[in-house]
Amino acid sequence: MNRLFRQLDSHITIILFGCFLVAINIVAMFNTSRLLKEIIVLILISSALGILAQTILPNGIGLETDITIIGADSDAVQIPTILINSQDGDDSTSNILLTDAFTAFTQGSALFLDARSQEDYQSGHIRGAINLPAHAFMDSLVFLDKLSLELTLITYCDGADCNASIDLAADLKLMGFARVHFFFGGWQEWIDAGFPTDTDH
Amino acid sequence: MITKTKIYDLGLIALRVGLGLLFVYASLDKIIHPGLFAKAISNYRILPLPLLHATAIILPWLEFVGGLALLSGRYPRAANILIGSMTLVFTLAILLAISRGLDFNCGCFNLESANDNLGSFKVLQNMGLLFISGILEHSYRKT
Repeated sequence: MNRLFRQLDSHITIILFGCFLVAINIVAMFNTSRLLKEIIVLILISSALGILAQTILPNGIGLETDITIIGADSDAVQIPTILINSQDGDDSTSNILLTDAFTAFTQGSALFLDARSQEDYQSGHIRGAINLPAHAFMDSLVFLDKLSLELTLITYCDGADCNASIDLAADLKLMGFARVHFFFGGWQEWIDAGFPTDTDH
Repeated sequence: MITKTKIYDLGLIALRVGLGLLFVYASLDKIIHPGLFAKAISNYRILPLPLLHATAIILPWLEFVGGLALLSGRYPRAANILIGSMTLVFTLAILLAISRGLDFNCGCFNLESANDNLGSFKVLQNMGLLFISGILEHSYRKT
């Protein structure tokens, strides 16, 4: 059912977009204001060029937003697929659920990477996690260079309201790490479950 | 002899061309990397998901075509209104993101540089652009 809605959603967007183009054409035909006509012409040219460019560019994207559902039924979150898969194909990363993240934690089989800011990290983080703010990835290269590319890495940020864990995971994958997961439930799910944390001052 | 009016006119041309150049420049990285730009937009968490790709596809070209129109002096007022409204929307989006405590690349000029992250500097920068856009609109209204 959910899937049907998503498909409908995407089709409605395309239909709405088509209606929008037809509508501004009609306005352009009947409206006598030169200024409005000029604005409409500029919007039409831009839309046409934008859509045309996607067919020419090797990394062009579709007009429809592909959506991926992450998580279990009750607290599933929809995110744009483009966040997870870069267009180059082989550097996709995958989500890891709370239970699997906790198993990896207890077995010590993965290194947790906190993608939030330093202040957030210091006020509380998953025990043993290392802070690699996603927006300052370049600053983390010296540290990452020392790690084995075979190491399992789990990135996280605040929770369903942030994309930093996904961004960091994508960057790590690009860097050559083979086993990268993002824990989308993140810090919120972890503390809600009462799992071990640490503060750092 | 150089009169005050001439200096004023030259100033307006400089502002128009400058604003046009800036927007053409700002559009290039986004035009070449539509996927990265879609990511940058999704970080703001404002747009409904189904509109994400369409916006990422059209917005950079709107900047490019608007900038080019300002540069060339063809449809300058229409282009200025478009660019002014876009800047206004961008400023509001950045303010909203900052107020929610978000921190990421703003997708303004360079999609992958941390220098282009959200911050009050970005708001000031956009306010400056809005001001220039306002001066241009004022001059077009007079003529």
